[in-house]
This record gives sequence, structure tokens and C-alpha cells, in this order.
Amino acid sequence: MATQIVMDQTGDTRHCFNPDDTEALSKAEERFKSLTSVGFTAAVRDAAGKATVTRSFNPTAEETLFFPRLVGG
Amino acid sequence: MFAHRLISATRHLWRSLAECSRKVQDLRERLRTVEDIREARGISLLREWLSPEQSAQFDASKCFDVVGCDSGRRYRIRHGTGTNVHEIDDGGRPVMGWCFVPSGHFTAGDVMLAQKIALETNERAALAVANRFPVQLPRRTYSDAPPGRAY
Repeated sequence: MATQIVMDQTGDTRHCFNPDDTEALSKAEERFKSLTSVGFTAAVRDAAGKATVTRSFNPTAEETLFFPRLVGG
Repeated sequence: MFAHRLISATRHLWRSLAECSRKVQDLRERLRTVEDIREARGISLLREWLSPEQSAQFDASKCFDVVGCDSGRRYRIRHGTGTNVHEIDDGGRPVMGWCFVPSGHFTAGDVMLAQKIALETNERAALAVANRFPVQLPRRTYSDAPPGRAY
């Protein structure tokens, strides 16, 4: 199972999906596009735990984290 | 007769006030629980993304260090939701504060995680939106001061 984690007011919302399921994968890609189009940053972790920012949907990513646009505090 | 009615009405009023007060107290406690759950979820998510070294440092001192991907400079992210990122020198002393947060209302764990990922993956963009602030170095004591200088 792959997971998309979206930071939100509740802490975070997790969307789990089976990457082998075409429909679920398509929904996950749609979610990726809709979040990044409104300014969310998508980050993935590799096996060693290193985070990288990704600009396009990666169907093999185990876990993708989305956080909102950064602003000066 | 009138006095009897007055006493009865007063009692009723006090009972209603006590009931309202109890309901407000219950609501406050429920809100506190919801906030505590949000906080705990934020910290739990942060821990999942920290390296083992960062996790150990966070356990020990409620802060962790990250290295900026572009400049190689070190930053210390403290527990908090604002003005909690300090650029540090080789000795671990703060030299400059950087304030940037994800837009919206987020818990400390979520804010710290967004700051960590931003500095480690796109430091320049993070600092471009950040506001700088001077950091207060710990005051030196007379015994630390070199001779001949007034502190």
C-alpha cells in the first residue's frame, strides 16, 4: 500500500491506495495534481530516509507528504 | 408569597448558571483533548521523517539540526510554530533567526517538518520567503568576560 499524507488543520490526512489498482492510482495522481496546483509541496522519502521534493507524480513512491506553501512568519 | 417566589426564582437561576458553567467546562476539556491529539499527531509525523540523529537530538533537547542543501549552512529547528529556526555557527551558537512557516494554522510538529524539508531540499526558496530576525546570544557573565572589557 502506498500513502499520500496531506498536512491539514486536523494534523494530517492519510490517503492509502494500492498502486497496482489502476483506478486508485489514477485518483492518487489526480490528488497529486490538484494539491500541487494550489501551492502544496510534495516530498518523498527514499529507503535511507532522505527527503526529496518531487514535481511530478511518482507511481512507485511508498509515501508522499504534501505541505502548504511557505510564507514568511 | 412574593418572598417565596423570589427565593424559588433565585434558586432556579443559580441552578441554570451552574449547569451552563459545567457545560462550558466540558466543552473546554473536549477542545483541549482535540488540540492534544492534533499536537501528538504532528509530532508523530515529524518523528517519522527525522533521521536517527535528528530524532535523538529532538528527544534530548526538543530541537534538531538540519543542513541547508544549497549553502551547507546549519540550522537549528526548535519546537514551536514561529521564530523557531536559527542559523548556527560551527560552535552551535545562533547567528541569525529565520522565520517561515506553512500558510495556515498548523501544529508545532507539522511546522517543524515543513521547515526541515524546505531547508534540506530547497533552502534558497525557503529563505527567499523568510523574514530574518536577530537572535539574542546568551549574556556573558563577568567570569567569561576577557579582562579590560566592560559588560
